Amino acid sequence: MSNLAGIWEALWGLLVEDGSLAIGIVAALAVTWVAAIALAEAQRDQVGWLLLAMLLVLVVLNLRSAGRRARDAIRPS
Amino acid sequence: MDLGALAGSALPAFIASGVEFVEATTIILAVGVTRGWRAPLYGAVAAAATLAVIIAALGVTIVTVVPEHALKAFVGALLLLFGLRWLRKAVLRFAGIVALHDEERIYLNEVAELRARGETRTGFDRIGAIVAYKAVLLEGTEVAFIVIAFGAGGAAALNAAIVGAIAAGFVVVALGVALRAPLTMVPENWMKFGVGAILSAFGVFWFAEGLGAEWPGDALSIPIILGAFLAASWLSVRMLGVIVPGGAEVAAKRV
Repeated sequence: MSNLAGIWEALWGLLVEDGSLAIGIVAALAVTWVAAIALAEAQRDQVGWLLLAMLLVLVVLNLRSAGRRARDAIRPS
Repeated sequence: MDLGALAGSALPAFIASGVEFVEATTIILAVGVTRGWRAPLYGAVAAAATLAVIIAALGVTIVTVVPEHALKAFVGALLLLFGLRWLRKAVLRFAGIVALHDEERIYLNEVAELRARGETRTGFDRIGAIVAYKAVLLEGTEVAFIVIAFGAGGAAALNAAIVGAIAAGFVVVALGVALRAPLTMVPENWMKFGVGAILSAFGVFWFAEGLGAEWPGDALSIPIILGAFLAASWLSVRMLGVIVPGGAEVAAKRV
C-alpha cells in the first residue's frame, strides 16, 4: 500500500512540485477563462496574451520568492 | 509525409523524450547492476503495460467524448502545470540554488541506496522491480505529456511525435545496453530547460485556442510565446544571481 501511495505521490509531483506555483497557474487559467466569456468576440483573441503576461509575472515572482527562501535557508542563524 | 519531413517533425519529440528515457534507463541500470536484471526488466515491462492501458483508456475516452475546444483547453492546462514546473526547476538549477541534474551522481546514489537495502540472491527481487516500475511509469508519463504537446496539432503531428518518442526510446535503451553505464554525455539540464519552455509555450497556445481565441499567424505565434518564456527565465536567472550570489544548492523541496 505504501508503494502505491509512493507512486501516486510521485505522479502527483509531476504536476505539482511547488504548491504556490500550481495555485497561481490555476488562478491565471481561471481569470483567462472568465475573460474569454466576458469579452466581446472581437477582443477574445487577446486572452492568450493576457494569459502569457500573467504567467510570466507569476514565474518571475515565484522564482524571486524561491531565491529569498534559499537565501534564508543558508543564512547562519 | 515523406521520410525527411517525418524526421523533421519528429525531432522535437525525439529530443524531449530522450531526456526522460535517459532518466529511466539510469535507474534501471542502477538496479540491474546492483541486484540483477530479471526484476528491473519485469518492473519496466509492467510499467510500460500499465502506461499503455492508461493511455489507451483515458486517451480514447477523452478524444471521443470531450469536444475539441475543451480538449485543447484541458491539454493546455496540463502542459502549463507540467512545463512551468520544469522551467522553474531548470532556472533554479542554473542559478545554483538547486543542485544540477547529474546522471552519474543519481546513478551512484541509486546504487548505494539499493546496496544498503541488502542483496537478494534467492526468490524474486520485489524492491528492484518496484524501483524500476516506478521510474518507467513516471518517466513514461512525462513522455506521454511530451507526445501530447507536440502532437496536439493534428493526426500528422501526433504520428510524428509518437515516432520521435519511440525512436528516442530505442536509441537511449540501445546506448544504455551497449555502455552499461549512465548516459552522462547528454546535456540534460539544458534540454530540460528548453523542453520546459516549449511545453509552457504550447500550453498557453492550446489553452487560449481552447477558449476560442485565435492567434495572429496561428502556430507562428508559438516562437514568440516561447521567446517570452525564455526571456523571463533569463531575467530570473540574473535576478536570482543578485538575491543569492554564490548559489545555495538547497534541496528542491525547500524552495
